[in-house]
Amino acid sequence: MSDELDKLLARLKEIQAEGSQEIDQAVNKEKLNDIRVKFMGRKGKLTEILHSMKDIAPENRRTLGQQVNSLRDKFQASIDQANQDLTHKLIQQRLEAEKLDVTLPGREPLMGSKHVLRIVEDDLEKFFIGMGYQVVQGPEIETDHYCFEMMNLPKDHPARDMQATFWIDDEHLLRTQTSGDQARVLEKHDFSQGPLKMVGPGKVYRRDDDDATHSHQFMQMEGLVVDKHVTMGDLKGTLELIAKHVFGSTEIRLRPSYFPFTEPSVEMDVRCFNCGGKGCPICKYEGWIEVLGAGMVHPNVLENACIDSKVYGGFAFGVGLDRFAILKYSIDDIRDFYTNDIRFLTQFRQEED
Amino acid sequence: MLISYNWLQDFLQLQVDPAVLAEKITRTGVEIPTTAHPMAGLKKLVVGHVLTSEKIEGTHLHKCQVEVGQEAPLQIVCGAPNVAAGEDVIVALHGARIAGNEKIKRGKIRGIESNGMICGLQEIGFADKVVPAKYLHGIFVFSAGSDVKPGQDVYEALGMDDYIFDFDITPNRADTLSMEGAAYEVGAIIDQKPKIEQVVLKEDGPAWSDKFEAQVDPKLAPKYYLRKLTGIKIGESPLWLQTRLWNAGIRPVNNVVDATNYAMLLTGQPLHAYDAKTFAAGKLIVRQAQAGEKLELLNEKELELDPQDIVIADENKPVSLAGIMGGMNSEVTDETTEVILEAAVFDPTLIRKAALRHANRTDASARFEKGVNWDNVQKGIDVAALLMRNHAAATVDQGLLKATDQQRQAVVVKTTTSYINHVLGTELSGEDIAKIFDRLGFGHELAGDDLTVTVPNRRWDIEIPADLVEEVGRLYGYDNLESTQPLLPETHGGYSVRETKIRRLRKLVEGQGLNETINYTLTSPKAAKLFTKSDHKLIKVAWPMNSGRSALRQSLLIGLVNAVSYNFAHKQEQLMLFEQGRVYNLDDGKYNELEHLAALYTGTAAHHNWQKLDQPVDFYWVKGQLTSLLAAVGIKDLTFKAAIIPGMHPTRTAAVYAGERYLGFVGMLAPVLAVKDKNLQGHDLYGYELNLEALLPLMTTGLKNEPAPKYPSIERDVSLLVDKEITNAQVVDCIKANGGKYLQAVHVMDVYDGMQIEHGKKSLAYRLIFLNKQATLTDDVVSKAVEKIDAALADQLEAKIR
Repeated sequence: MSDELDKLLARLKEIQAEGSQEIDQAVNKEKLNDIRVKFMGRKGKLTEILHSMKDIAPENRRTLGQQVNSLRDKFQASIDQANQDLTHKLIQQRLEAEKLDVTLPGREPLMGSKHVLRIVEDDLEKFFIGMGYQVVQGPEIETDHYCFEMMNLPKDHPARDMQATFWIDDEHLLRTQTSGDQARVLEKHDFSQGPLKMVGPGKVYRRDDDDATHSHQFMQMEGLVVDKHVTMGDLKGTLELIAKHVFGSTEIRLRPSYFPFTEPSVEMDVRCFNCGGKGCPICKYEGWIEVLGAGMVHPNVLENACIDSKVYGGFAFGVGLDRFAILKYSIDDIRDFYTNDIRFLTQFRQEED
Repeated sequence: MLISYNWLQDFLQLQVDPAVLAEKITRTGVEIPTTAHPMAGLKKLVVGHVLTSEKIEGTHLHKCQVEVGQEAPLQIVCGAPNVAAGEDVIVALHGARIAGNEKIKRGKIRGIESNGMICGLQEIGFADKVVPAKYLHGIFVFSAGSDVKPGQDVYEALGMDDYIFDFDITPNRADTLSMEGAAYEVGAIIDQKPKIEQVVLKEDGPAWSDKFEAQVDPKLAPKYYLRKLTGIKIGESPLWLQTRLWNAGIRPVNNVVDATNYAMLLTGQPLHAYDAKTFAAGKLIVRQAQAGEKLELLNEKELELDPQDIVIADENKPVSLAGIMGGMNSEVTDETTEVILEAAVFDPTLIRKAALRHANRTDASARFEKGVNWDNVQKGIDVAALLMRNHAAATVDQGLLKATDQQRQAVVVKTTTSYINHVLGTELSGEDIAKIFDRLGFGHELAGDDLTVTVPNRRWDIEIPADLVEEVGRLYGYDNLESTQPLLPETHGGYSVRETKIRRLRKLVEGQGLNETINYTLTSPKAAKLFTKSDHKLIKVAWPMNSGRSALRQSLLIGLVNAVSYNFAHKQEQLMLFEQGRVYNLDDGKYNELEHLAALYTGTAAHHNWQKLDQPVDFYWVKGQLTSLLAAVGIKDLTFKAAIIPGMHPTRTAAVYAGERYLGFVGMLAPVLAVKDKNLQGHDLYGYELNLEALLPLMTTGLKNEPAPKYPSIERDVSLLVDKEITNAQVVDCIKANGGKYLQAVHVMDVYDGMQIEHGKKSLAYRLIFLNKQATLTDDVVSKAVEKIDAALADQLEAKIR
């Protein structure tokens, strides 16, 4: 009966060769499934062989059974592998089809930007808020009373000539300085609730012809600290912090100056941050750059606001935000702030916080 | 004022390097932005004596032999018309450097050898305005009597070895507008008492003052002194005097005018010399001008005088604008032999106003308007007289006529050591402070803490204790002040609620991709009225620089339109700009400033790209931006109604309301704007403008959490056909009114009025979203709601549900 066995074994070999070839040549998953059915299905070729088992000697049935099972496992493994390969190939093909030229530019949305003067303003405000200052706003259409008289600039004071004024009527004007905010706040402040610390940013106007260094409209920030014990040393210390914060300058110089609303009055220069003091076009070869005016609040300003100048005192300072921006970013034409060329505006985005 | 270092040596012993001194003065007293050293950069400029000068045929040139202290004279070709034998001149030798770092080399001019150059003052660096008239268009010639020798350097003789400090004084420090004042200031700084000399003047002419009448209003001139000088011979001043003048920036004129200028530089007292013929009738009047009076000034300016002007007049007419400039009709000329010399104190305000009014500020008016030293009036007039006596052969007639002579008492200021220390943050002793007042030459009395300081009239800027604090502070040295931080109770810094809201809006708009601009407040009256619904009065400035900047804007959009126009002109066409700022109006006599926010869009909604995914901005894009902005700050109950706004497209503009409150408008800008501004042609502009005064109070504050819904929502679509005139708002209102309590939202899905639609109709599709926050919603409930909606639409809007 071993003939029968041999025949079946030979048949198994044929099936193996046939199956392997078909699996290798299968081009898709449907084909592979057909192959599985053809060889391993209920009516498949391997099943047929098992059905032939009855024809061989019982002692050989075990051998044949093992061989058939082994071949079935082999087929299954090959089909699984082939399936996996096909999947992989499909993925590959799809990915290949999806290929992009990654060097083409992306679609850029329009990005907003803050005006450079706002950047300077916001930065300073944040700096002062950190030191406990309130940010205060006042009117741009000011009265003679607040803009000048309360600030110790009575009518006919020669210092009024320093500030060419846009008058609206006999009493109203476009403010030439943010100092009027000082007077308003001084009048209102209740010192029993604590010291007065404020900054007041805003637009101011001077009757100047516009050119590269003059603008009939610009921005200032006023600062004021008043309480019972505020000294000029405190002013100096505060100004040094400003210089360091804005310009990174640690060397400053205070020069005596004159403002009607402070006494003593000083102007602060910082060591030229461009040349370090050797002299360059930015500092006009002076080695120093004038950055702001300041002083101890004039007793008349306090008295005008009904504050006892024998008890209270303090310091005030005023900075030109346009000037700060011009110095910090090497801007050579003040009109650039107000013509709003989009290319000028957007470059400062990098400076926003 | 330009202060000469060499001249200062008359008063002080200065050993310190001028640059170091300048820095010290800057830090302690008066800013010196620049120090000039006139000879800097110059080389090989010597005195030459012209031996011969012969004209070169057919040219304007002269061939000169010039002695320059070398073995043989130099041959120099000179083109100046005033070169002549016998002159002492300035010679630039071979290898010299003249102004502008120009090098002078030996060479040939028209084939004739020239071994240098004979120079004019401008060629060695002098400014036109200080060069004496006769040398303005030629070479400089040393006057006879100038102590110069051929071959010696010219710098010292011309005052060019000096260092010139530019005292950039503040208005309160006019006391340093004189050499004496500067000497006091520098002396205080370097702790040296300046040597101030008294003038001794001999009056050897006849008495004159009793025969001359001067009528002076003491309100106009509280001090008014006159002297008379006779026998004058007009000529050139000595070189030393001229150099001092030109180093101070003043052009030498003649020995009379120069004397007045020199005396002013020395003492700070402005002086004026009249040809005495002017007052031949023996009468001089100081008064205010009468309406209609005219005066021609020395600079040939014709003035219509104002009744506020102070004039000096003879018995008939003004001859001088007091304190500012003399009149042509009283000018000292080459023929003048007798002068009336004036030294006065005029009312500062009237002088300032007159100088402004006639746009004619002078060295004299600058001093009068800031004040002069009342104690130096006589010294001023005596110095001038002495100089004329010495250099113009003048005889000083006996008598100083004091038409007015008010006195000013020295100011006494009482303060305390502790006050000064308290303000400065110092711990100076009474003695330390007293020492500083010694340096200043102020009298003082120290009694315990109390300090009484007597301020001489030469420092009229000092009146109150704070002024003394400044003197002590600056002389102690601001550099020596210890830097401290205010030791104050804690304060909480920050913005007001209102400011915080405004900043939040700015941030949101920037986040939407807009670029912030800042525009001018002042615009033309026409432009100022655009883009606003209000008919409030314009605010105008009384004296504008030009009509384009004469009115305060009533909208921000006008500024944005200008910004867009500027960008278009520079080929920048992709713009989304905004401004947050104020607009202004006059309402019932009240000046209003309103915070606004406006945006302007043109171009595409994203940068151009190769995928063509860049739609042009349009009404609905901008409306969407505005809607999402308002939603982000919690504005509810928003409605849009077609509106007419000046400057906006009449059929593409909507007024924006929150409930009943008008917030602003959104829409397309009127195409007609491009008629006036060609830059705008071919561009569509869209924008909005919001009144933040209306918006800010509506912004959410105190938000409470609302949990995200746990139950699913149900969506239903409704399509309908309606008359074309029915608006979306009408449909949505109808749906909402009839949708029941679970209707959450209504979204427009489609709007179509093209082909296949009955004429005069349009097709609309809406997606309705229903949600019950408390339970799962059933189809049944929703279907009933939709049925009700359909019925209402059909009934109220005659809609055909599709």
